[in-house]
Amino acid sequence: MRRNLWLYRRCLGAQLRATLEYEGDFWIMSVAALLTQGMGFVFLWAIFRAIPQINGWRFWDVVLIYSLVALTEGVAVLLAQGAWTMAVTVNLGGLDTVLVRPFSPLLQVLSSQIGMNGLGNLVLGGSLFVAALVHVHATWTPVRIATAALVFACAPLVKIGLNILTNCSAFWLKTPWSMFPFAFHTLGELARYPLGIYGLAVRLVLSVVLPYAFMSYFPATAVLSLGSAPWLGLLTPVAAAWCLLLGRWAFRRGLTRYESSGS
Amino acid sequence: MARIEADDLRKVFRRPDKGPGLAGSLRHLVERRYTEKAAVDGISLRVDAGEAVAYVGPNGAGKSTTIKLLTGILVPTSGEVRVNGIVPHRHRIENARGVGVVFGQRTSLWWDLPVRDSFELLRDMHGLGAAEYRENLDRLVEMLQIGDLLDSTARRLSLGQRMRCDLAAALLHAPPIVYLDEPTIGLDIEVKDRLRTFLRQVVAGGTTLVLTTHDLGDIEDVCSRLVIIDQGRIVHDGGLRQVIETYARERVMHADLASRPVSLSGVAARLPGATVTEERDGLGVAVAFDPLAHTAAAVLSALQQEAEVVDLRIEEPAIEDVVRRMYAGQLDAAPGERTGT
Ligand SMILES: Nc1ncnc2c1ncn2[C@@H]1O[C@H](COP(=O)(O)OP(=O)(O)OP(=O)(O)O)[C@@H](O)[C@H]1O
Ligand SMILES: [Mg+2]
Repeated sequence: MRRNLWLYRRCLGAQLRATLEYEGDFWIMSVAALLTQGMGFVFLWAIFRAIPQINGWRFWDVVLIYSLVALTEGVAVLLAQGAWTMAVTVNLGGLDTVLVRPFSPLLQVLSSQIGMNGLGNLVLGGSLFVAALVHVHATWTPVRIATAALVFACAPLVKIGLNILTNCSAFWLKTPWSMFPFAFHTLGELARYPLGIYGLAVRLVLSVVLPYAFMSYFPATAVLSLGSAPWLGLLTPVAAAWCLLLGRWAFRRGLTRYESSGS
Repeated sequence: MARIEADDLRKVFRRPDKGPGLAGSLRHLVERRYTEKAAVDGISLRVDAGEAVAYVGPNGAGKSTTIKLLTGILVPTSGEVRVNGIVPHRHRIENARGVGVVFGQRTSLWWDLPVRDSFELLRDMHGLGAAEYRENLDRLVEMLQIGDLLDSTARRLSLGQRMRCDLAAALLHAPPIVYLDEPTIGLDIEVKDRLRTFLRQVVAGGTTLVLTTHDLGDIEDVCSRLVIIDQGRIVHDGGLRQVIETYARERVMHADLASRPVSLSGVAARLPGATVTEERDGLGVAVAFDPLAHTAAAVLSALQQEAEVVDLRIEEPAIEDVVRRMYAGQLDAAPGERTGT
């Protein structure tokens, strides 16, 4: 475990050096991330100008959920962006070299890219997060603080696990495009708003089938004691472990189907 | 002790059976049809420690697929494989510690990193100690002459430079088994020669080697055993020397001359058994000879007695020629050879 973490850091560090060769990209991507997330925030603000509450959620409560999506996205992009390379890697036979190195193939894939635009997400998400924490109506008892630390720390792992799971579709689809996992990623963006505003089907998908809601909505309910079942949010660590295990399982299944490429 | 044991290995690829064009692709969406192709079709192979095996065959014969099965990259459709006593596709990490692999068409170096950084990442993955790493690296840098390349990124290396660095990367942890899939593809003669010398040293050091190539020159001085594969099956497995002596004896020396005329019959008379033909409108001569009957030096001196030679080159038979000749009904293998169909 310690060796794996250390090697993971080594690989990411190497990737960081490589990425910094393309400095221009870094700025463009960061600004793009800031703009996308920023626009979403403006949208939220506009809605709450019209209606003061949605399903009992006030503006800053929703900002907290929103900021968690930006933060988890930032962490996932910065630390595990390699998941999104799976389609190309599998299609072009790029796993060949990965599979003959003595380090977990999945960890090699995950650390094979570092998304500097994650910084943009982290900066914006972080600012909104802090602002939201200041404004929400909550008394910060030690228990609440501990709960918050735990569920917020586990939230990004939910996203990383789901990224792995959906991107593993590459082993079955065999196309060099990530359209399929990207569709799910977009679906996951629905978790920016309180789950209660959606119909039953969407709620089921986001909380059970592909539990994207555990990266934002459920952790927020636990911390704010809002929603119909705040205790569900305490399951965030379980959801994170479950998603990561699912991702690992799919990757292992995928590897047995891996066909490399001719030549 | 057998380092590599493969038993009746098969790998079947399923390919979508699409008609031509967009219409074909659309039809495939509705009515899925596949053709199955056995790229490797029942291969059994034992390679002992220290053996150097040349694995050759025509394009699409299944060489690369075999290597991918032996290295655990692909999971076989059926059959068994053990390398260093373990099943490679079940214990990939453990397997990776004991083997080195180079795919000629693909680099294992990190594309945007200096070569040295790639090596250091591999060092850490293999868990090599500082002293061991230094020692191995120094040896490889010297043998492959890559000292000047360590600080450039893989992206900037020429093909030959990259291949040498890739070889070093595969051998950093001094693996007992090395697989090389067309390590000399696209390289010029000088780099090829350097690589061949290097491979001889590696084999002399006791490393087990499996080498695929289309170039007879790669294997002649390196490998002692020749395995020929065609359409996924082994069609010959035996000593390399006998095959070369039986089917690849003939060399052709092409000489450019300062002036014509040259007396072809005069040259032929000095070299009994050799075939002498005119080239380039009389400004060149080709002599096909058996190296056991005449040395290259003898052929050259015979030529020089008849004309002034300004340039020459010796052509070796290609593996494809050898295989073709073996097929041409003359598959009378020498005693002690294992030959199958
Ligand atoms: N990933 C793949 N998917 C489908 N078919 C494949 C795949 N890889 C190889 N094949 C097919 O399997 C056969 C054997 O391929 P392989 O690459 O092993 O040949 P090879 O002996 O290495 O040939 P070459 O000398 O051209 O490198 C070929 O017909 C090839 O088209
Ligand atoms: Mg090949």
